[in-house]
Amino acid sequence: MLFPTIDFGLFFAFSFVLVWSLNAYNTAKKLVLLALSLAFYASWNWRFLLLLLASGAISYLVGLYVDAAAKRPFRRLALGLGVALDLGILGYFKYLDFFIAQAMNLAHMLGFELPLGFVNVTLPVAISFLTFHAISYIVDVYRGRLAASRSPLDIFLYISFFPHLVAGPIVRAHVFLPQLATPPRAGDFSFGENMLLILGGLFKKMVIANYLAVRFVDPVFIDPSQFSRFDLIMAIYAYAVQIYADFSAYTDIAIGVAGLLGYHFPQNFNQPYRALGIGDFWRRWHMTLSSWLRDYLYIPLGGNRHGALATARNLMLTMVLGGLWHGANWTFLIWGALHGSALVVDHAWRRSAAFARWGSGPVARVVDWALTFNFVCLAWLFFRASSLDAVGQFFAGMWTDNGAPSTMPGVVLPLIACGALTQIAPPRARATIGVVLDNRGAFAQAAVGFVLLYAIVVMAPPGSAPFIYFQF
Amino acid sequence: MAEPNAKPPTSTSPWAWARVLYAVLALTVFAFPGGLVDWLDDRNADGWLSAPLALARGVDAASTALGVKQIGQRLRGWFAAAIGGEDA
Repeated sequence: MLFPTIDFGLFFAFSFVLVWSLNAYNTAKKLVLLALSLAFYASWNWRFLLLLLASGAISYLVGLYVDAAAKRPFRRLALGLGVALDLGILGYFKYLDFFIAQAMNLAHMLGFELPLGFVNVTLPVAISFLTFHAISYIVDVYRGRLAASRSPLDIFLYISFFPHLVAGPIVRAHVFLPQLATPPRAGDFSFGENMLLILGGLFKKMVIANYLAVRFVDPVFIDPSQFSRFDLIMAIYAYAVQIYADFSAYTDIAIGVAGLLGYHFPQNFNQPYRALGIGDFWRRWHMTLSSWLRDYLYIPLGGNRHGALATARNLMLTMVLGGLWHGANWTFLIWGALHGSALVVDHAWRRSAAFARWGSGPVARVVDWALTFNFVCLAWLFFRASSLDAVGQFFAGMWTDNGAPSTMPGVVLPLIACGALTQIAPPRARATIGVVLDNRGAFAQAAVGFVLLYAIVVMAPPGSAPFIYFQF
Repeated sequence: MAEPNAKPPTSTSPWAWARVLYAVLALTVFAFPGGLVDWLDDRNADGWLSAPLALARGVDAASTALGVKQIGQRLRGWFAAAIGGEDA
């Protein structure tokens, strides 16, 4: 059940009234939300409901044990077991075939054959985000950041809540669980802003991302040899806009839907292509993943506490594993390694005397932005390409122009311009307009909502491709 | 970290929100009734959606009679032509 579909529109219209009608009965409301979330997940593949329930059960039981165990070694053991179970499930479904293939290739290169077979399992939707939420909960309980929940209902709902279930944002347990303790008050939320979040997300996904993908990016990446050097370069920039529009659309809709149901989700994007430096980029792009990787991987590895070399190693490890999280493919691993290397350089540069002397002037800021933006775009090539061979073909096409005329459709540049607008618009514009809408009453809200949705339906191509991050 | 959906509004009733949401969805269905008719038709193999399908066809007929559906179709065709494709 994709967000921009009639299926989800009807599902949400039904859920909205049902959930708010039970607002005075918090337990019943949470039970209904859990049932709705399970139904949402089952719409992809009901068999994987067991996975969702197993993840919830592991989190609940390990959380209780970690919270109750008085002696630290047992707490650490229970935590390790819980994390290993979560990662084991993820590893089995997502990485086992990849590592089997690498082992067989290595053995073949060394002159012998390994008697291994592939497991060939279907990758369950949302498995990575399930794992992030589950680990976040038990580690936060272990660290004493929150008490273990005595309510299995709360934990199952935290793991499976349908707005964040499939592709985030990653909502920390200490942010979400307290919201389940008491019924939400509609007065704590802006209807106008949440409606604009959802409609803006629909526009970014259905118009910008879909057109860029179908009209230009997908054909170029399927066979780069058919396209001119100019087209290949433009396809990289177009993909940068497409992936931003696609992924930020999903999380905007998720935040808006959660807000309309009375739950706060954290911000996930903050105009990332304005970043000055790779460190700044990762504070603006997929912010909930960045902070998750920082808190549950980079800092436990030692962070920046043990000197420059250890910091560089920790940055590289964090980003390589972050890259590999996106998929079991060398392209993702290299994408992570590229970002890790850039972070190491960025980290060293911003602590240097040269940066203190020249780094804050207007020219330096323009250079900083241009280097960051172009590096991020070039790295997207590894992220988007299906294999390293495909990356090689792409680079070969850019190096030796085939002389073909450009076939880039005219619609690409306006769409890229729309993407650019999202990066330079005043950050508080949506909140301000949302409050204005809140103060205008139902007629104005309905009129604005209808006009915007009408425009989106007029502009959108038929059908909708899945969100890019569904595969992760 | 900023929380974009945490604002103090004046429209604080979820029932007021529901009225707006349903109004927006109903108006959109009236403007583009074909999508819902096709969606219901695709899922009506067992006939258990016959009543909502009949209702959706009634909305479709009303929208066509008033010329609303044609405006939407024309605008989609115009937009598709303007961007140089046959998507609409």
